Amino acid sequence: MKPFEHFAPDSVGEVLDLLQSIPKAKLIAGGTDLLLQMKQGSAQPDTVISLKNVEELRGFATRKARFRLGAGMTLRGITRSPELKKHFPGLVYAASVVASEQIRSLATVGGNICNASPSADLIPPLLALDAVAHIVSRDGQRDIPLADFFKGPGKTILKSGEILLSLFLPQPSGNMFYSKHAPRQFMDLAVVGVAVRLQKNQGMVREARVALGAVGPTPLRAKKTEALLTGKTLTPKLMLEAGEMAADECSPIDDIRGSAWYRKRMIKIHVRRNLEALL
Amino acid sequence: MSITEKTSVSFTLNGTHHTITVNPLRRFSDILREDLGLTGTKVGCDAGDCGACTIQVDGKQRYACLTAAAQLKGCNVRTVEGLSSNGNLSTLQLAFLDEGAAQCGICTPGMLMAAQSLLDQTPNPSEPQVLDALGGVLCRCTGYTKIVQAVLKAGQSSFSQTITEIENPSSEINRQKSVGTRMLKVDGYKKITGEEIFGADNAPENSLWLRAVRSPHARATFTHADPETVLKKFPGLVRVLTADDVPGNNGFGIYPHIKDQPVLAKNHVRFRGEAVLALVGDRESVESVTEDDLGLKWEVLEAVRGWKGALSGKLEPVQSEVPDNVLARGFLKKNDVEMAFSESDIVVEGKWTTSAVEHGYIEPEAGYARKVGQRLEIFVCTQTPYMDRDEVAQVMGLEPKQIRIIPSAVGGGFGGKLDLSLQPLVAIAAWILERPVRCIYTRPESLASTTKRHPVSMSAKAGCNRDGKLTAFEYHGDFNTGAYASWGPTVADRVPIHCSGPYLVPSVLAKTRALLTNESPSGAFRGFGVPQGSIASEALMDDLAEKTEIDPLEFRIRNALRKGDRTATSQLLENSVGQVECLEALQSHWQIWRKEAGVFNQNSTHKKRGVGCGSVWYGCGNTSLSNPSTMQVGINADGKITLYNGAMDIGQGANTIMIQICADALGLPATQFEYVMGDTDLTADAGKTSASRQAFVSGKAAQLAGENLRAKIILLAEAAENATLCLEQTDSSSGGKLIVADKTGSQEIILADILPLANGDVLTGEGTFDPPTTPLDENGQGSPYATYGFGAHIAEVEVDTLLGTTKVLRLAAAHDVGKAINPTQLEGQIQGGIAQGLGMALMEEYIQGVSENLHDYLMPTVGDMPEIKVILIEDQEPLGPFGAKGIGEHALIPTAPAILGAIKQATGVSINHLPVTPDRLYTALREAENK
Repeated sequence: MKPFEHFAPDSVGEVLDLLQSIPKAKLIAGGTDLLLQMKQGSAQPDTVISLKNVEELRGFATRKARFRLGAGMTLRGITRSPELKKHFPGLVYAASVVASEQIRSLATVGGNICNASPSADLIPPLLALDAVAHIVSRDGQRDIPLADFFKGPGKTILKSGEILLSLFLPQPSGNMFYSKHAPRQFMDLAVVGVAVRLQKNQGMVREARVALGAVGPTPLRAKKTEALLTGKTLTPKLMLEAGEMAADECSPIDDIRGSAWYRKRMIKIHVRRNLEALL
Repeated sequence: MSITEKTSVSFTLNGTHHTITVNPLRRFSDILREDLGLTGTKVGCDAGDCGACTIQVDGKQRYACLTAAAQLKGCNVRTVEGLSSNGNLSTLQLAFLDEGAAQCGICTPGMLMAAQSLLDQTPNPSEPQVLDALGGVLCRCTGYTKIVQAVLKAGQSSFSQTITEIENPSSEINRQKSVGTRMLKVDGYKKITGEEIFGADNAPENSLWLRAVRSPHARATFTHADPETVLKKFPGLVRVLTADDVPGNNGFGIYPHIKDQPVLAKNHVRFRGEAVLALVGDRESVESVTEDDLGLKWEVLEAVRGWKGALSGKLEPVQSEVPDNVLARGFLKKNDVEMAFSESDIVVEGKWTTSAVEHGYIEPEAGYARKVGQRLEIFVCTQTPYMDRDEVAQVMGLEPKQIRIIPSAVGGGFGGKLDLSLQPLVAIAAWILERPVRCIYTRPESLASTTKRHPVSMSAKAGCNRDGKLTAFEYHGDFNTGAYASWGPTVADRVPIHCSGPYLVPSVLAKTRALLTNESPSGAFRGFGVPQGSIASEALMDDLAEKTEIDPLEFRIRNALRKGDRTATSQLLENSVGQVECLEALQSHWQIWRKEAGVFNQNSTHKKRGVGCGSVWYGCGNTSLSNPSTMQVGINADGKITLYNGAMDIGQGANTIMIQICADALGLPATQFEYVMGDTDLTADAGKTSASRQAFVSGKAAQLAGENLRAKIILLAEAAENATLCLEQTDSSSGGKLIVADKTGSQEIILADILPLANGDVLTGEGTFDPPTTPLDENGQGSPYATYGFGAHIAEVEVDTLLGTTKVLRLAAAHDVGKAINPTQLEGQIQGGIAQGLGMALMEEYIQGVSENLHDYLMPTVGDMPEIKVILIEDQEPLGPFGAKGIGEHALIPTAPAILGAIKQATGVSINHLPVTPDRLYTALREAENK
């Protein structure tokens, strides 16, 4: 390991000051990704800023009609939060199927997002919940829909000097289901991940969210599928069509976990099954 | 606050406050093991994929390898060393000991810490909670069953009442007979406290580190810079070893006539992962030197890949000595198979292929060498100390007696630690530099450079008459043996003998080839090719059963080998043929499960259940070759009794059963025994831990050693044959006594009165056993093994036909083991074999350059295991110790066939390529629909 500087500031202000003066510094929260990247040599930072002591990154709170999820919250923390379980059971489920308890007790929601893996389990549910990324820098702050946050595998819209401070989640309307397709029971990445949220009124879909993981360079929202569902009553035919449309909307690759062809078919089935579960 | 390079971190570790000055991103696993000397926390992958390094931080389970030092500021850390207090084991540790939850012990500390984190918060957990808590730790030995049971047991309040009995094994001391009991593992205590010393846990303090530089290409020629110029650039480097530094023969291999794998390749590499140079120096330097620093220049050549590539003849052969790439052929012919097929009422056939499979032991190869006078001492994880000794000697150009192999505890082997790995590298470095040299393989290095299960392309054909009696069987198998021989010829030999299964087949023809390619060397892996071959034969049994409209289990019973039958090699089976009993023992489960699956399927549209079965027979010991074991036992003046056990315990429990057997043969309690394992200076050669031979061959030697010592004692005491012995063990001042009593009275032997040998023993016994076999003739006919183990598995699966996923719900396994020396250990072997068979069937596929880590190479987790029922059948083998024979490989062989059969019953689809991953099954299901 080559020498580097290490900072452990106590506040967001200090983090932002450091980032301004050392723009190439790497942030470390749980460190489950960074330590691995450094070991493999794919990350060789000169400066590392630990977020461990930053109070503002923590916690889950209700503010008016929306909820604030601190980027530093661990996945284990999410699975153990009665508040989150009450309001966002689908998100809690998604957190509970990430890797293993050992990873979940270190890894943070912010890390899962900023690492921008196409297969990250938390992202499709957050997209389906209309999460907004609250980004801060020395120059100010901006709120960006999470759907616009990702640019490619490992790439986000965060600019030099910016950090993801928290996520805002609106009061959820309707239920959200996440399903993870993985051949192994524990410690496996999603072959596909599908989150569906429906707000219904007397059987008619008022609002639909369909978010897909591991089937494109970034997790994505299947907007045509959402449009197809909106304003209609769920029928077996519609649910089948929605699955097919979602499969058309994604662009997976072949890898060791499954071919692109197979992934598209899994999207089709999981979208339909999640819709059936939300009937 | 800015810190450059080092920071001060304070934390509490196992109740003691620590402040260390350290690189803030140093992994805590390194801090524990290297800075603080706490080696109970193991490192299996260094990437958060295996869980061996699980510790507790503020009560929560975490991977130490992904925990940076700075993250622990102010935290309360607990490791396995903190579980017991003042030598008293925790309830959880006792439950692990009692259940036999630790086999090799490498995952045990991680398992314990994961379980403890759960129990701290949920003292009486449910089974799903236990599975979830243990989901982040891989175990390759146990199949997880006993681990889950142990955690559940630790959570039960009734368990604490039984604890005193486990802690005080005196109740067992009076138990004269040990064979057949569930005696606790003699090395169990060390494994559950983290005190066990594995290959990476010990090295002399001033050791240099060695790292092999390996080829990133499957086939290439290469040049490198002059080592002297590299050394000048890196002051921390002491030596760069090249092929020219190998003092003896730069080639090693299993067979006396094939030493084809170089220790360090010279100019030319034949597989990705082959060692080309070795860097020796301080750890940081050997790890930081890059290919560029070494001036490595590759000229990449087109690689020979796969069976077709090997046979196409388009490229230069992999090894110039083998122009057609056919390294070895196996052949067996019993009667006229062609005529038999023409006279058969029904003939079925098929083609299958399988993937390379990794052993997946959680302990990567590790050890050290040091020069002592004109000898070399090598401490290493190995399955075969004596073979290592001889191989290192020829590589070093030394006499075998100049090499001492001191085996570490072995964190799993399964055949993968039968070949040399780091032994010759550290030996050369330590010899040249006259300093101790250590080496620990990284996980990707272990995956890339060590052997795999042979991928096979095979076709087979089977015939029977209308009554369902088998008439003929034909098999052709091409085994991809990779770049070097390793155990390829053994696989080519073993498969023809076994390929027709444990069935009476009048006519058999089998042909196999071991093909050289520029891929990972394929070697020994639990079954030597027989697990692959069984996939073909068992699928054909199902097909014949279907055509004859006979229940598949019934079909197997009708055709099973029985006493008095002759095998495919025309060997007469006279004793211990429990195949029918095994199949019959499964019958009630079979009928109930099939019925229940049928009911389930009537009510389910997409999820379908099925129940399948598979049989196994497997010869114990080497094929038609002498493979003797010698065991020694000695009593010293203090009454200390030691079994000098050369049979390597790689987790399966040889240390324990050898003592059980020897103790009963001698007539003293097993609990009085101590043991030495595998050290070539202290133990006799008991051969390799392979071929399911240790319980049978070395076990018999242990029995003979015990009987030999007993005979000497009886003679000395002039007592009757059936005299009872009592050993009074004392500290050295007063000396030990042997009291020999028979009907006429009792005799005291004062041990200190007898002149001791050099090692201090005053009374010794020795036994040697070499199982009787005969050579095979040109048609593969003869008696290749002295005995065979038999067995069968049935598996129930649930297939989601829309997703292609398969979940194994339950599995029952019946095995004829001759005599169960230790039922707990047998169950553990069988459950572990099932886990590996399940992995081979459903998920394991090693692809060079792709699945070179444990998150892309998937092995079953605790959540992937079915409920398992184990049935032990004892049809005693007269040659074996107290009637026992082997189980190691038998346990795995029928699992994949049973699962494949179940998938077929559930879906109607036959899958002809392993593993049956969801995408493959999905594709096959859709193709079947479109037909």
